[in-house]
Amino acid sequence: MITVVSGLPRSGTSLMMQMLAAGGLPILTDGVRGPDPDNPRGYLEWEPIKRLRQEPHRIDEAEGKAIKVISSLLQGLPAGPSYCVLFMRRPLEEVLASQAAMIRRLGTRGPATDPASLASAMRAHLAQVSAWLERRETLQVAWVDYHRLLARPREEARRIRAFLGLALDEAAMAAAVDPSLHRQRAALAEVGP
Amino acid sequence: MAERLAKKLLLIGWDAADWKLITPLLDRGFMPTLERLVERGVMGNLATLHPILSPLLWNSIATGHRPHRHGILGFLEVDPQSGGVRPVSSTSRKVKAVWNILSQQGLRSHVIGWFAGHPAEPIEGVYVSPLYAHATTAPGEPWPLREGTVHPARLVDTLGELRVHPAELPPETLLPFVPRADEVDQTQDRHLAMLARALAQASSIHNAATWALEHEPWDFAAIYFNAIDNISHHFMRFHPPRMEDVHPRQFELYRGVIDATYWFHDLLLARLLEVAGPDVTVMLVSDHGFHSDHLRPRGGLRSPSGPEDWHRDLGIVCLAGPHMRRDERIYGASLLDVTPTILTLFGLPVGEDMAGRAWVEALEEPVQPERIPSWEAVAGPCGMHSADQRVDPEAAEAVLQQFVALGYVEPPTGDQAQARDRVVRALRYNLARSHLDARRPAEAVPILEELARDRPGAPVANTLVTCYLRLGRHREARRMVERLIEAGAGGPWTDWWLGLIEYQEGNVDAALVYLRRAEAGDTGRPGLHVRIGRLYLRKGRLDDARRAFARALELDPEHAASRLGLALVELRSRRHVEAAEHALAAVGLRHLMPSAHYTLGVALARLGQTDRAIMAFETALRMEPRLLGAHRWLRLLHLRRGDAARAARHEVAAEEMRRRRRERASSSASTGAA
Repeated sequence: MITVVSGLPRSGTSLMMQMLAAGGLPILTDGVRGPDPDNPRGYLEWEPIKRLRQEPHRIDEAEGKAIKVISSLLQGLPAGPSYCVLFMRRPLEEVLASQAAMIRRLGTRGPATDPASLASAMRAHLAQVSAWLERRETLQVAWVDYHRLLARPREEARRIRAFLGLALDEAAMAAAVDPSLHRQRAALAEVGP
Repeated sequence: MAERLAKKLLLIGWDAADWKLITPLLDRGFMPTLERLVERGVMGNLATLHPILSPLLWNSIATGHRPHRHGILGFLEVDPQSGGVRPVSSTSRKVKAVWNILSQQGLRSHVIGWFAGHPAEPIEGVYVSPLYAHATTAPGEPWPLREGTVHPARLVDTLGELRVHPAELPPETLLPFVPRADEVDQTQDRHLAMLARALAQASSIHNAATWALEHEPWDFAAIYFNAIDNISHHFMRFHPPRMEDVHPRQFELYRGVIDATYWFHDLLLARLLEVAGPDVTVMLVSDHGFHSDHLRPRGGLRSPSGPEDWHRDLGIVCLAGPHMRRDERIYGASLLDVTPTILTLFGLPVGEDMAGRAWVEALEEPVQPERIPSWEAVAGPCGMHSADQRVDPEAAEAVLQQFVALGYVEPPTGDQAQARDRVVRALRYNLARSHLDARRPAEAVPILEELARDRPGAPVANTLVTCYLRLGRHREARRMVERLIEAGAGGPWTDWWLGLIEYQEGNVDAALVYLRRAEAGDTGRPGLHVRIGRLYLRKGRLDDARRAFARALELDPEHAASRLGLALVELRSRRHVEAAEHALAAVGLRHLMPSAHYTLGVALARLGQTDRAIMAFETALRMEPRLLGAHRWLRLLHLRRGDAARAARHEVAAEEMRRRRRERASSSASTGAA
């Protein structure tokens, strides 16, 4: 069984990976993208996931582990393995603010689209991926609310452990949640709606 | 609900079919099935849209909307999953097709091979995507159907068996097309292989269609054949008379392919009509015509002008069945009218947001189509892909770019990146052209400016100049033309634009110099001569104008704008009978020309034909409500008829328009706007 942590970029996927690692689940990561101001505790990503369509056999390396697969790459998961997907949900305005901050820091350039259109596009993408997940009979999905995770880490850790059916350390998972890292909500609260 | 006039309706699409080629074949008895259809129904030209690209046009036919509304903008699109490119998908369509509307009303439809129709839509009926007919494997190897090719799934095996692989066609199948086929060295010359592929695809579509019509209940069927277009692109250069750059031997080998292709389609039509049964309403259309004479571009497939330059503005329409007039012409039909007409024949309302009209003049008894604001607002299952499967390519591209910027997705590189870039640019350019064709240059300008900024080049720049001129932005137009000349793209068109700009700035002598140069640099197409003629006309140089329009008509006798130009010349010359004849010819060629209806109205009014003049002016106003002159004339004509109330209404409308013009003029003067 492969545990897949998914969601939009900046929706809490790194946090979930950190929780699973703390709970004792082996993580498939290569450390190519290390910790940075956007993610002081690291991303826990695996670069070959970006080339899964071209190299589908590499998914075998994730057997028995957790792997981060961002929302747009989910539909490239090859048939065969059994997947349990933990899909992170976070308010879109926070996600987009966090994405914008990360793009600024990376010095890259996003689409030449106005913010409202980008939000609309992201919303449509999220709806499309969510509906695709609902239709898949070959994988199981648990939706994880980011704020609920921050507010009730122990409860959520218990729910996630039960969903995965694995012997994970719930206390260690809950301890991995650090509300002080929740920056975008604070930033939005400062500037108002 | 209005009366349902069509018990069943069979819509057949013959991509690129052209009356210019069909008519001589009808006269020679080579297409007896179509001949009978024409005799028992109505026929006419079908005006296309710009850009003349089949994925856009067949979806305008199926939806009643222009491309910028229906969302299908090219042959390819970006794959939102891989970031690469893929054939344009039915999930990119933003509005309902006619079969979705019919599904919503409990009617069953069969859709076979429709352009940009993959994956198959879950309608009430049978849906076969165009990928069904494409042979993707070598002969003898398994040829599985791609997922999403056939709906419902229970018919996958049955319909899969009915496909024809090109290698299955016996060699003698090609003899009616190429009698001397055994002389062709197929190791060097791939024409026969191309022909076999096109015929096999047509046969596959035909087999699926006839099976569906015979075995599954239906009310409406839409069957699309692309063979005439495919074969025309490869073989029209060999059609008589021989083009200068065609080798005589190749001409002799392939000169009969086009005629044989139409004959073949007539055979298919016969079987379709037989299977469809009696009392079926039949509508045969094409999305555009195909140049087959002196207007054929030089250079064949490798002509610098590209495949689109072979497409002619006028396709075909033939409509026959219960309640239809017989053996008559319809005039001014547009491909935007197909869906409104189908809806009307099924007793269903037409969306007010649809750009076309129902061909009520084709009916024995007049009907007034009902209207609703929009079919998009009608809720309920309709057989479209679910909302989560329908992907807006622009939105998907924005998401992809965002994820690339964040480092979560690899950017396309090398060939894939170039292909993506080309596709994205092409889709944006087609969107701009669709806006321009819909008289929305303001919406086109920002798209074109962005494209020109990223990569300046002639087609984009040409279109941008056109938009600037339509918007009266002469300074920007001049700058863009000068950039084109600096880049080595000067020629008759840049001379024309500079002439137009000089004239509009009041520099008449300078304008004439440019215009004479433009005339001398003859492009061989009517468009430029029409523009020159219009400018002469505005200057009052009637003989020059008549010469220019006549030259345009010589180049293309079915050019509506040339006819309108001559109508205007004759009107100015006080030759009203001739003016009315030319104007009537213009609206017959293309209905959507408010200025032609207006001109006709003026000519008829001056000839004392009051009622017909009123009809012409009212038609013009329906298309272009801002025609002040039309209101003035209608006031006058209604007074002539003694209808003071109607005359007063037009007086009020005219006064309101004059007031608004004064306000706009005053506002421009105070802001110093150009």
